[in-house]
Order: sequence, then structure tokens, then C-alpha cells
Amino acid sequence: MNTIAILLAMVPVVFFISLLFEGIDRKIHARMQKRIGPPIIQPFYDFIKLFNKERIVPVTASSGIFTATPIIAAAAAILGASIPLASLTAETSVVGDLILILYLLAMSSVMVMVGGSSSGNPYGAIGFSRKMTMLIAYEMPMLISIVSVSLNCFSLAYYDIVSTQIRTKSLLAFTRPSMAVAAITFLLCIPATADVVPFDISEAKTEIIHGPLVEYGGPYLALVKLAKAASNFALTFLAMGLFFHLPALLGGYASVGLGAICLCLVTTLILLLLTITVPRTIFARLKIGQAFKFYWLIPLASSIMAVVLSILEL
Amino acid sequence: MVDKMDYTPLRIPLGPVHPALKEPISFRVTVRKEEIVDVDVQLGHVHRGIESLAESRNLIQTLYLVERICGICSHSHTTCFTQALEEIGGIKPSWRALYLRTLIFELERMHSHLFLLGIMAYEIGFDTLFMFTWHARENVLDLFEEITGNRIHHSMNTIGGVRWDLSLHMVEKINDSLKEMEKSIKYIEEVFQDKTVEERLCGVGVLGYNEARELCVVGPTARGSGVSMDIRRDYPYAAYSELKESFSVVLRNSADACARTEVRIFELFESINIIRTILDKLPNGAISTGISVLKLMSKIPEGETVSIVEAPRGELLYFVKTNGKEGLLRLKVRTPTIPNVLGLKPMLIGCEIADIPVTAASIDPCMACANRITVINQDKGEARVINWENLRRRGKKQ
Repeated sequence: MNTIAILLAMVPVVFFISLLFEGIDRKIHARMQKRIGPPIIQPFYDFIKLFNKERIVPVTASSGIFTATPIIAAAAAILGASIPLASLTAETSVVGDLILILYLLAMSSVMVMVGGSSSGNPYGAIGFSRKMTMLIAYEMPMLISIVSVSLNCFSLAYYDIVSTQIRTKSLLAFTRPSMAVAAITFLLCIPATADVVPFDISEAKTEIIHGPLVEYGGPYLALVKLAKAASNFALTFLAMGLFFHLPALLGGYASVGLGAICLCLVTTLILLLLTITVPRTIFARLKIGQAFKFYWLIPLASSIMAVVLSILEL
Repeated sequence: MVDKMDYTPLRIPLGPVHPALKEPISFRVTVRKEEIVDVDVQLGHVHRGIESLAESRNLIQTLYLVERICGICSHSHTTCFTQALEEIGGIKPSWRALYLRTLIFELERMHSHLFLLGIMAYEIGFDTLFMFTWHARENVLDLFEEITGNRIHHSMNTIGGVRWDLSLHMVEKINDSLKEMEKSIKYIEEVFQDKTVEERLCGVGVLGYNEARELCVVGPTARGSGVSMDIRRDYPYAAYSELKESFSVVLRNSADACARTEVRIFELFESINIIRTILDKLPNGAISTGISVLKLMSKIPEGETVSIVEAPRGELLYFVKTNGKEGLLRLKVRTPTIPNVLGLKPMLIGCEIADIPVTAASIDPCMACANRITVINQDKGEARVINWENLRRRGKKQ
């Protein structure tokens, strides 16, 4: 009961933090481009403004799916971010929650995709096919890298992996070569999951006008944007907990509690800047074939290597 | 057979309103999977009737009217028009005026090329490069403002000369600014050689040498396909006959979007060279004839001539026919986009959807310059474009 209360309490926290992180990301992105950039709380303004706008459902859309998918996407993404945050706060491990988190995050992007393609707009359809291709490309190495982590820690629970790090007073990514490879693979998959340049192929603004988002506006768009912000936060938070749980280095009582969680959030922000802000500043958008080739050449190979190394207990 | 069963061609309308296209142009693209099998380019969304408007105004009014044909190459249009008037009226501007005209011309080329390079970066999703390029472009715009008082429509030209002189202080300022710009352009050149940029530009939108010759494409589009043509060298105007040693024509043979981008980047360096030479060699003298332009205008006799200049986008041609009563009988403008837009179809076929924006941008289209008459019958809902034959028939009737 207590755990569920904590989980529910985490929902507004995730809402706040994910939008705040998006604001910081936008500000730093702007500064790197010699721009002033929007205020850090701009995503909140956007959210409120969009929510006050008219709801428009195109006549060509199948309205049920079109309106339901943004809600499911946002709910799934926020839940996906709340679970690791709640299990870290409550210090409880739920068996198999890693699988649930990854499922919820995949669910969130699939829902946006389905909603976009149900709009009846050809750009939505192209966006759907592009996102589907990308999903196949990045989801596999991501899952395999998680498998190698669980092989190492003999658990599929998020908090078990965190507590292993606390027990050994080390960051998982630096313990063994297999885990270093897994961490790199996971981080390489984040830009594609977050749909940022160079992998924002499914939403390429200058090519297919934001793809699945083309017909969305008002509250639906606000929800889709929230889903994206929350899933970005969830992914980086997951990566932080699995590979770089910094409070573990402090040891003892400092490795748990509110202070530790704040340190975790700072680490998450740094990971978010490194995996989302930096690539979207320094790269040009790839084409779908090039991106697919990249993911099946480097991250897939490295994830398989991570599994092989963990089986060999390296 | 199997191929046909598998993928039915999908028709995608691109434009007239599309975030990748800065101006209204419509592509009806037929795609199979991601590959483009057919393209139908439609113009005519921003026709403004400037040629017709010019015929009802006097020559000075028309000078300011033609400047408004294009916001990017406004100086090219006025230079081309004043050149024609000066030829008909037998007016010879001083060398200082011609040099100043050329100076603005080359600054404008830099501003236009930097503009386009920024757009190219934006189209391939490289927003940072886009911001950096436009940051460099601001330097040129600031110079324009200091020299002429305006950032975009400089109104530098007048019949028989130019309107603003260059002080010694200003010469220094331009030199300083050039140094800064050279540095940032070198940096931009390096970033354009980035791997992801190369992957998006190389081999995209290929227009072979023979096709380029057949379609008569002009300017950097032609030079990117290896066609050696440059009005500045072939038919020197303004002060270019004296500046032949200070620039060379940049040619590339790979004929793709990358080649066209490279041509523009290296033309920026050539422009810097030309401007430095102009500032060195700037002769003394008056900048205009000293007679009021209204008097000059009334002295221009009836006559006709063709005037060409190398605008940033390519060859710009004016046919001017004056009526001897301060007005025009006929003004015909052939902007570089008109031949270049024809090249889009062979460029696009065989590419992917992802390549459409960057290919369209690589010819640096300026739609408002290129639009010709479309007649729309609202009752029947049909659009009809009046072609060359029709126009000629109408012309003969009148």
C-alpha cells in the first residue's frame, strides 16, 4: 500500500522534473548555438498554453484512436519514469520492474506513432513507417544491453541493481568491461529513443512536418510533448540508476535518502545533456537507411559483445 | 509484377505551404516506399504582375519597383535595369560609381550565399550550423546598413551612378569586417565537411553535365555540374572588366547538392578577394553625373536593349523597351530561378523523400522572382497557365 502511495506521489514530481529538464536542455542547446534561448520554464508555459487551446480532430482521423493515444502515451511515459524514481525513494525492489519500465517506454512511442498514423495524413503514415524502422533498429541493442546487466547482477529488478552498486561502492559501468560496453550501448540508444537529431527521422520537421505530430494540436499536442519529455527523463534516469548510481560511491547513509536522490537527479541531468542536447547540437539529421545501418552495425554488435562478456564473467 | 503488388505508389503533396519550402511552390511527388518515381513541379502561387505594373510607371518608379522583385538580390535587379537605361540613354557612369556598384554586388553575393548555406544546413536538420552561418551573414547586413542606410533594399543604384559614397573610415571598417567574415567562413567550410553533412549532401540531386546544358541551368547550379559559365567573366559589366585577375570561376564536377554547396562556399572567398581589390583600387571621382535624375530620365530616348548580370543565383536577364516619354513599353525579366527550377525534376527522380528539401534548396530557388501568369477560373475550378506560345500570340494581337 505504502509503495503505491509513493508511486502516485511521484507522478507530479515526474511531471515537474521532466518539463524542467526539457527547459534546461533547450536553454543550453540555444547557448551552444549562440542564441539567447527561451526561459527555463518555457515548457510549462507551452504546456499551459496548449491546454487552453481548442481541440481539433481532423475529419479524416479515426477519432477514438486519435484522441486516446496521446493520453495513453503520456500516462505510460510518466508511469515509466515514476517506477524507478519510486523504487529508489521507497528502497524496495519489485521483481521484473525493468521489463515493465522498458515496455511502458516503448508503449509511449508506439502510441504516438499509432495516433499520428490514424490522423489520415500521408505525413503521419510516412512518420509511422520511419518510426517503426527506427524502433526495430534501436530497441534490440537496448534490450540486449539490459539483458547483459541482469546477467551480471542476477536480477531484473531496478533497485537490486542499484543496491548492488551501493553494496560494492562502485558504479556498475566501471566494474567490468562487459558493463562498460553495455553502458555505452544503452547511451547510444537514447538519442534515437528520444527522437533527436541525428535520429529525429520520424519527426523530421523540414522533410515530413513532424511526421506523426502533424495533425495534433491543443491539449493533444501538449500531452504528446509531455510524453516525450517524461520518456526522455525516464530513459536517462534508468541509465543513471543502472550504470552510474553516483551516491553509491559515498557509501553508508549518504547513499540513500533525499540527498542521494538529488544527486541522482543531477547525474540524470548531466546524462540527459550528454546524450540528448549535445548530439542534437553537433550533428545533421541522418537518412533512415543510414541510421538503421548505424544501429545494426555498432550498438547491436556491442550489445551482443556485452552479453558474451557477461556470460564469460568478465 | 511482384514489385507492383508490393508497393502501390503513394502521392504526396509537398507545398505550396510546407516548412521546408521558404516560398510557395508545389511538388506533387509520387513515391514507392521512400523512392521518388515522379515529380510534378507547379509554380504560380505568388505571381505579382510586376512586369505589367512597370509598364504603367515612369523609369525612376520602375527602378524602385524592380528592386522589390527579390529581397535577396535586390541590387542585381537594379544594376541590370540601370545598365539597360544607361545603354539606351548613352550615359556613362564614372569608374568610381561602377566600382561601388560592384562592391555592393559582391557583398550581396556573400549575403545571398551565406543565406543559402544556412538554409541548406537547416534542411538537413543541422540547426547549429544554420545559426552560425546566419551569424556570419549579419556582418554583411551591418555593412549594408552603414554604407547605404538599408539592410535589404539598398537603393544604391541610380541612373548614371550610385547614390552613396564610401568614406575612408568606411573602407577600413569593411576591411575589418572582411577579416572577421573570412575567419567565420573558414570555420563554416570546415563544419560543412562534417561526416553527417557529407552523407546528406553527397550523391543527392545529381544533374549531369549534359542535362545541365540541355536545360540551360545557370549560376552556381550550372557551375556545380561542371558547366563553365559566369557572366562576370564572359560578358563583363560594371567594373568586372578591370577585376578579371582578382577572381576565378569555381567549378565542381560531381554535380550533386554537395558540389553546389561547395561552389557557393568557395565563391564566398572569391567575393572577399574581389572586394579587397575594389577597396585597394577604388578610383577617385564623382559617384554620379551631377544632373538630376528626373532630367536624365526625360532625356532617355525610345529604344530597346538586353542587359545581363550574374546575380548570386545565376544569370539575370532584362529586356527593356523604353517609349521615349519617361516610361516603358515592355519590361521582361528572366530571373535565374526560371531555368534552374526546371532542373529539379531530373534531380529529384530516384532520390528519397528525405532528399526533397535539400535538393530543392540546393538550387537556391526564389519563387516570387520566378512566377508567371496562372489564370484561375473560379467557377469551373480549373487553373490554366499561360505559356510562351499563348503570350506571343497575345503580344502579336496588340
